[in-house]
Amino acid sequence: MRSGVASGKTGTGRLGLTRREFLRAAGGLVVAVSLWPERPAVGAAAGEGDRAGWLRVGEDGRVTVFAPVPEAGQALRTELAQLAAEELRLPISALEVILGDTHRVPPDITVCAGSAISTLGPEVRRAAAEAREALAKAAAEQWRVPPEQVQLREGRALLISDTDTAVPIGDLAQRAAEMRRAGGPAALTPPAEHRVVGKSVPSLDGPAYVTGEARYAADLRPPGLAYGKVLRPPYLGGRLLSLQTRAAAAQPGVIAVVEEDDLVGVVATRPDVAERAALSLRATWGQGLAVSGASLYEDLRASAELEAELASQGDVEAALAGARQGYSASYRTPFVAHAPMEPHAALAAPEGERVVVHASTQRPFQHQAAVAGALGIPAARVRVICPAVGGAFGGKDSPEVSVQAARLARAVGRPVLVAQSREEELGWNYFRPAAVIDVRCGVAGDGRIAAWDCDVLNCGSRGALAPYRFENHRVRVHRCRAPLPQGPWRGMGGAANAFAREVHLDYVASQLGTDPIGLRLRHLEEAPRLARVVCLAAERHGWRDRRPPTGLGSGFACAVDAGSFAAVIADVEVERTSGHVRVRRVFVVQDSGLVINPDNMRSQIEGAVVMGLGFTLREAVRYEQGRILTRSFASYPIPTFYGAPAIDIVLDSDRHDLPRGGGTAALCAIAPAVANAIFDAVGKRLRELPLSPARVRSAP
Amino acid sequence: MLVAEPTEPIIVSVNGTEHRLEVAGSRSLLSVLRAELGLTGAKYGCGEGECGVCTVLLEGRPVRACTTPISHAHGREVVTIEGLAEQGELHPVQEAFLEAQAFQCGYCTPGMIMEAVALLRQKPRPSELEIREAMSGHLCRCGTYSRIIKAIHLAADAMRR
Ligand code: FES
Ligand code: FES
Repeated sequence: MRSGVASGKTGTGRLGLTRREFLRAAGGLVVAVSLWPERPAVGAAAGEGDRAGWLRVGEDGRVTVFAPVPEAGQALRTELAQLAAEELRLPISALEVILGDTHRVPPDITVCAGSAISTLGPEVRRAAAEAREALAKAAAEQWRVPPEQVQLREGRALLISDTDTAVPIGDLAQRAAEMRRAGGPAALTPPAEHRVVGKSVPSLDGPAYVTGEARYAADLRPPGLAYGKVLRPPYLGGRLLSLQTRAAAAQPGVIAVVEEDDLVGVVATRPDVAERAALSLRATWGQGLAVSGASLYEDLRASAELEAELASQGDVEAALAGARQGYSASYRTPFVAHAPMEPHAALAAPEGERVVVHASTQRPFQHQAAVAGALGIPAARVRVICPAVGGAFGGKDSPEVSVQAARLARAVGRPVLVAQSREEELGWNYFRPAAVIDVRCGVAGDGRIAAWDCDVLNCGSRGALAPYRFENHRVRVHRCRAPLPQGPWRGMGGAANAFAREVHLDYVASQLGTDPIGLRLRHLEEAPRLARVVCLAAERHGWRDRRPPTGLGSGFACAVDAGSFAAVIADVEVERTSGHVRVRRVFVVQDSGLVINPDNMRSQIEGAVVMGLGFTLREAVRYEQGRILTRSFASYPIPTFYGAPAIDIVLDSDRHDLPRGGGTAALCAIAPAVANAIFDAVGKRLRELPLSPARVRSAP
Repeated sequence: MLVAEPTEPIIVSVNGTEHRLEVAGSRSLLSVLRAELGLTGAKYGCGEGECGVCTVLLEGRPVRACTTPISHAHGREVVTIEGLAEQGELHPVQEAFLEAQAFQCGYCTPGMIMEAVALLRQKPRPSELEIREAMSGHLCRCGTYSRIIKAIHLAADAMRR
């Protein structure tokens, strides 16, 4: 594979492009569309301004796509290539995709890196369509025919009436670049005519993955590479009181023990030396944060402050008071870790006044700003390049490790790699916010839900607004003083919010003695796309009304996230005495708009289900007196081969919508589907994640 | 206080090339492969034998390179993911992973492939349960387990042909 590997090699060389590259770039057609005309030149050296747009047609006919978010397993590279290939009528092999390099790509416009395709996809698609039209116009001018008589095919422009008249697109690039400025927005290829989009093109990164050639940040080996290890306090919030470095500094192979304000790190010629030396640093620490998981939910409640009222329809209080029946309950979800298989790593290489950082992140521009701030240099002098990223799930936004690497590298004047251990990864990252969600629901005489009142503590607004139509509807989001560092996590608060809402609806349905899917459908008149996947799921799964508990059960839940609609049915088996839950099969119907690559969409949904089952059944960060206790895979067990259920997926997409990130909606719906299935199987209602055997046993 | 260990050269064959290494015998095979030999296909994921991303073959058997001292490899043969393809031809297991698209971020992939190669040498027609058992020490946070199982079945079929 090209890009991942190549960027690793070039990134540690000169910052700017070579003169030849610059001339070639400058001579080609650069298409920058929409929000930014052309990015201003960054840095002083000539040639560094070449990072204007989303797409470039070189004079050699090569087409390059540029986008700000790296490949971290979503097949973003492949899907962007498909979009561009479609519009430019090119084979996918004719394209190169450069991702996540602050000096080559347009700025990051995504809110959620996981569903980057929904923001980046349309940009690349438009850029490619514009390039196509400009190239056709340039050819038409040459042949003195109207542009409609020109067609692009396989890297050449052809005259439709005489296909022997042809010119390579590289020869047209220069003229097209001039003509494009006069052109308006270009027509996108209608989905019905798609030939590359909608096909299960194999991942462009696949060959590098299976041969071991893919280079992740910790795999790069520039000359003179040194290894850094930073000193961590034993508990959160611990401040360094005293430090003895002599034993560490004296070890053969140690280049330096760096002490700079809050950063203490060892740099050594070998990774094992750095680790050992860091262990021999003698430090004493001041008091840390005395937070403990035992009081997590009380801590959240005690510090809750109203942040926003998302919906206020009708008069919720009056409707609740006037309801025939009222049902309220609280739902709780703990902190969970991202636990990507690749721990955070960053390699910083000083180059004179500048620094190049290869970082395991989905946010190169955030890392660039942070490194520049920490070093006190302009952002233009910091180039952040994302090599292959071994999973992120929202957990690699924080620039901490890049900053550590950059500071250590500056201190020793050579490239330094800081690669976190698993212990650091699980203990010193931010987590998915824990949540408490209170739901009060009132049912009217006609069996409709007349009032829905929801208070969301700590996990934020994503997915908090119910997709159902409730006449009286109020959602209040409260911010809390979280005991642990928290941040983005695949689907953000969407999973906790869906858990509360969808379990509560199942509870209400069971209390009313009505079918849980039927109850939902009664309130989905205004959400046709969601209603459609819900109906399809019921139909295809062979959903039947509740039976008396037998130990086997099925549970339903649905969710809307990142523009995708998912209906999920989980079939489970519950052992009453042990409380053990086995998820046998998960059935997903999903609408994710224009599906660029169906096989990848399925893969993302499968991954969402598996990852979702982790926090559904087992995962929870445990902590005591400021110490994270779950700092290994033994104490923080993530899903394994054993737990992986059969997953059946039906894609039922509205291809006239934008392409949508498909990796979160099912993840939001899986926990409530399983909880509802447990109720179906053994009649126990669980309202706190994870649905561990102990909770299943002790639930009433 | 730690003292540098006396080093005796360690002789190890990696992907068919013999190396004479002046390293401490207690150092992990993974660290030596990655930092000294530049073979970065085997990954670090936990350092404690709990995730499998560091798996390589030692005398044909899968081992966790992170918990294998380099001294154990002395006089022996190691094969890493880089040494699996022969004359530019991918191993059938590699082909099968491509066919099933059994990866997302790719980080667990080399370790999965090495374990699967070893499994298929021992059991050319593993059942699904046998696959799950053999692979159970490997974690994939992207959740591609069912695809990996499929890939191993595909590889088994291809290798019988
Ligand atoms: S790194 Fe060796 S098992 Fe995890
Ligand atoms: S593919 Fe990402 S960890 Fe397995």
